[in-house]
Amino acid sequence: MSAILYHGEPNGPSLTVLAAAFEKEADVTLARVDLAAGERHGDRVPHAFEVAQSIEGEGPVLVADGVAMADSVFLACYLDDTGTGPALRPADPYARWQMMAWCRYVIERVAPAAAYLGLAAGPPQTVPAGIASADLAERWRDATAGRFDPAKLADSRTKITLAVEKIEAQLADGRDWLMGDFSIADLESYAWLAGMPALVPDAFAGKPLTEAWLARVRARPAVARALALATVAAPETMWAPGPEINRWG
Amino acid sequence: MSATSGVTLYHWEPNANSGKPMLALFEKGVAFDSHYLDLLNFDQHRPDYLAINPAGTIPAMTHGDLVLTESTAIMEYVDEAFPGPRLMPADAKDAWRVRWWMKFMDQWLAPSFSMIGWSVFVGPSVRSRDPAELEQAIERIPMPERRVAWRKAISGAFPPEEMAESQRRVALGIGYLEEALGQREWLASDHYSLADINGFNLAYALPLSQPALSNDTLTPNIMRWLRAIYARPATKACWALGRTDMARRVTILESEPA
Repeated sequence: MSAILYHGEPNGPSLTVLAAAFEKEADVTLARVDLAAGERHGDRVPHAFEVAQSIEGEGPVLVADGVAMADSVFLACYLDDTGTGPALRPADPYARWQMMAWCRYVIERVAPAAAYLGLAAGPPQTVPAGIASADLAERWRDATAGRFDPAKLADSRTKITLAVEKIEAQLADGRDWLMGDFSIADLESYAWLAGMPALVPDAFAGKPLTEAWLARVRARPAVARALALATVAAPETMWAPGPEINRWG
Repeated sequence: MSATSGVTLYHWEPNANSGKPMLALFEKGVAFDSHYLDLLNFDQHRPDYLAINPAGTIPAMTHGDLVLTESTAIMEYVDEAFPGPRLMPADAKDAWRVRWWMKFMDQWLAPSFSMIGWSVFVGPSVRSRDPAELEQAIERIPMPERRVAWRKAISGAFPPEEMAESQRRVALGIGYLEEALGQREWLASDHYSLADINGFNLAYALPLSQPALSNDTLTPNIMRWLRAIYARPATKACWALGRTDMARRVTILESEPA
C-alpha cells in the first residue's frame, strides 16, 4: 500500500523528506499542505500524538500502514529502511554514528536558528486554529506579532556561521559529500541552509567548498525533482515555525 | 573492570545522559572499562578528559581508536557494533517511533527535568565552594552554552518563568509517557528498546521527584514500566556503578505496587 507524504514547499524538513523519498524511489503519494498557513493542524492531516507534539514544529507527515510519522531525519531513516534506491546512511556502525551525530547537531543547533531567521524575514499572518502543542502555538503567536528577540536573532546568525564553518572544514579533504558517500546528512544540512545565504551572507563569504557542495546537492536529480514541486519562485524563503531554540542556550 | 571489548566509557552517575550508553552496554553484554568522572568536581573539564572529548561533555566512549560522543547516537552505535540482543526494533515504523521518543525526551522533556534537577541538586551541591575556585572551573568549560548553564545552576538564577515552563513540561510529559505505556508494554514498540533505556534514565526517580504527578494511582503504567526495567539484571549492574544519593534513588522501585 502506498504511503502518503503530506509536505509543504520544498524547504527545510519538507525538502529533506521529499528528496529522500525520491532518492529511495519510495512508493509514496504526495499530498501538498500549506504549512505556512497552519494546514497541518486542520482536518486534512492525521492528528496523531507524535505529529501534534513533534518538536520539529511545522514539518512534513508521512503516513504508512496507518501510522502517522513526523520529524524529517527519522522519516528519512524510515524511507532508507523501506525504499529501494541506494542507501542514504553508511553501513559501517561508526560511519553511521558520525552521520547520526551530525544530524543531531543540525536538528538541535542549525534548524532552530534557520527557522527563526527565515520566519523573521517573512512572518506568517495569522495563528492557525487547532495547534495542540502550547509551545508551538506560542512560537506562532510570537511570529505573527513580529516578536523576534534581537539576542536570539544574533545567536541564530552565529549558529549559521558556525554551521558553515563546520561544513567547510568537513569538506576540506576534497570529499564531495559530508559523510563521504551521499547521505541524509547532506539532505538535512542543505534543506535548512538553502535559504541562509540570502539572510546571513557573511557566513558564506569565502567558503568555496560549501558553495560548491550546496550546488552539488541542488543538482542531484532527487533534490531537483523536489525543488520542482515548488509553487513559488523561491521556496527557500518559505518558512513556518520550526523547532524551538534550545532553552539552555 | 578490564575489558576485552576495547571499549572505555567516560561517564558520571547512571543517570540522564551518562546512564544511557552505560545501560545499553550492560544490556548488550559488552564489558567496558568504566572511567568515572565526577561532574560536581568538574572532572569533565580537565585537560586529560578534554584530550578525549574537546567539548567537555559527558559521556564519551572510545572503542579502540574510535571516539564517540552524543549519548543517544552512542547507544545506536553500541546496538549496531556489538552482538547481543537487538535494542532497535526490526520494523521500520517501530524504529522511527524509538527515534521519535528519544528526540522528544532528549530535546523537550529532559532539559525540563534537568533544569529542575540542577536547581535542586547540582547547584546546591557546588554552591558552598570557594567562589573564586568555582569561577576558574567555569572558565575552563569549552562550550559557551555550558558555561551559561553552570552559572545559572550555581547562582540559582533560573528565571521563575523558565522553571514554571519546565514544571509544565514535566507534568505534560508524564501524561504522555503514561498514555504511551498504556498502549503498549514498552515505550516505543512491543520490545524493550533504546527508547526504554533512554526513558528510564530520565524517569527512574519520578515517584520520588514528582510524587504528586507520578505514583501507583495516577500513573500505574509508568510504575509498571519502571519496575520492569529495574528488575532487569543489566539495570541492577548499571546502577551499582552509582556513587551518590542521586543514583540510589532508584531503590524506590523496590517498593511493592500500591
